[in-house]
Amino acid sequence: MAEFLMYFTNGLVIGVINAISAIGVSLIVGIMRVINFAHGELYIFAGYFSYHLSLTFGLSPILAMPLSVFFIFLIGILMERLLIRPTYGDEMYSLIITFVLSIVLQNSALLIFGPYPNKPPALISGSTQIFGLFHYGNQRLLSFGISIGILLFVFYLIKKTWFGKSVRAISQDREMASLMGIDHWRINMISFGLGAALAGSAGVIIAPIFPVTPTGSSAISLTAFVVVVLGGMGSLKGCVVGGLILGILENLGAAYVSTMYRHIFAFIILILVLVFRPWGLFGQKT
Amino acid sequence: MSRRILEGKGVAKSFGGLMALRQIDFVLEEGEIVGLIGPNGAGKTTLFNVVSGVYPPDRGELFFDGRLISSLKPYQICRLGIGRTFQIVRPFLKMTCLENILISLIGRGERGKTLEEKKKEAREFLEFVGLRNRENSLAKDLTLIEKKRLEVARALATKPKLLLLDEVLAGLNPSEILQALELIHVIRTQMKITIFWIEHVMGAIMKASDRIIVLDQGEKIKEGKPEEIVSDPRVIEAYLGESNA
Repeated sequence: MAEFLMYFTNGLVIGVINAISAIGVSLIVGIMRVINFAHGELYIFAGYFSYHLSLTFGLSPILAMPLSVFFIFLIGILMERLLIRPTYGDEMYSLIITFVLSIVLQNSALLIFGPYPNKPPALISGSTQIFGLFHYGNQRLLSFGISIGILLFVFYLIKKTWFGKSVRAISQDREMASLMGIDHWRINMISFGLGAALAGSAGVIIAPIFPVTPTGSSAISLTAFVVVVLGGMGSLKGCVVGGLILGILENLGAAYVSTMYRHIFAFIILILVLVFRPWGLFGQKT
Repeated sequence: MSRRILEGKGVAKSFGGLMALRQIDFVLEEGEIVGLIGPNGAGKTTLFNVVSGVYPPDRGELFFDGRLISSLKPYQICRLGIGRTFQIVRPFLKMTCLENILISLIGRGERGKTLEEKKKEAREFLEFVGLRNRENSLAKDLTLIEKKRLEVARALATKPKLLLLDEVLAGLNPSEILQALELIHVIRTQMKITIFWIEHVMGAIMKASDRIIVLDQGEKIKEGKPEEIVSDPRVIEAYLGESNA
């Protein structure tokens, strides 16, 4: 029982991080109709940034993490401005551009950071006994807490603020939003930056637990896409529930079936969803 | 002599080989209600799209309040003061009525007001079109006439000086048409908004407009007071086909 609960808790922790990463994808798809294939690379870069900021430049990890995310936000803004903006109106172009960018970034990461997995220092050490059943790493508990905080922040941003209302209006009817005076160019740019920053947040949160490698990026993008499809396009709630389901299933599957099949579970879920409920758990049937 | 609020000079727009607008010249004076009529495919909605910046004209220039607007983006034109409703209503369906209005208030880009102040302002617009009791309903749950009212309120919330109305009366029954005309009257007299108005309900537009512009196949074939329009042979021909008499 204790063992099961521990795997389950692992699933929850990975699940919320999945959710953050997936919301990054979902936001960009929903608003801009752009699929960002370079999502996983941004995630990886954030992990490496936080590693080098804290170990090479000697910053405290507490500073290194948000600073890395901020860098990724800026990279996202630059990407939108220079590469994505000229392609609006043709989804195929943006698809190809982000795909090429993902290859370029992945190889840059290999060149800059090297092929070895890197793990930034943990914020805290030690472990806590949970319900008197098992010991659980404090770093993982902290990661879980930070992730929940980020999710709450995103929900607040989208549901309650001016920015969020503009975002929702644009994702429903871009032309109409523009005719009502919403500057959709600016909102697009900020949203892309925000989507990138969410990939980056997931990256800096996971890196102290599972080290990042440049070649791991495509699996990260895929996981995020599977979560978005599972949860339903354009649904924040879907990203959270989908992320948790995937996180828990992968961890239980890895524990009780085989770690070799860890990523197979994602694909089985993807196929099942596409066959039986293509609009996802919380998506709109069209 | 009042001010020219909207002026088009040689406005032309084509889609592929189709000339939707051929060199249209027109002027709207401040405070007027101007009707825009013409048979289907005459280019009326295209003209509205060009004025509101959905697409730029191929040739010609548009001036709003003395400013050249033909190269501006829709949100810039909206912020200058041109509001717009659509023939087929397009509220943000997954948002509440109140949120739909708030979008327009956000679009105006005024900073420094709290959300509560903006909500209060938004409620006034809902009150004005009689949707106060529906503020928390999702737009997709409204009836057609309620959606049209919401669309008008949303356009008004952008604080326009000029309002483009695209067939607001279509699909309404006679008593609803009377209510809508009442509303338009109030918009003009109390809010001092100039109205440019596409309509197929002839009785209503003839009664309510100061002037009428008639388009046919992308050309302006007639402009004048309503009574001059109804008796003009070219207008009758455009609507009914050539007479053999």
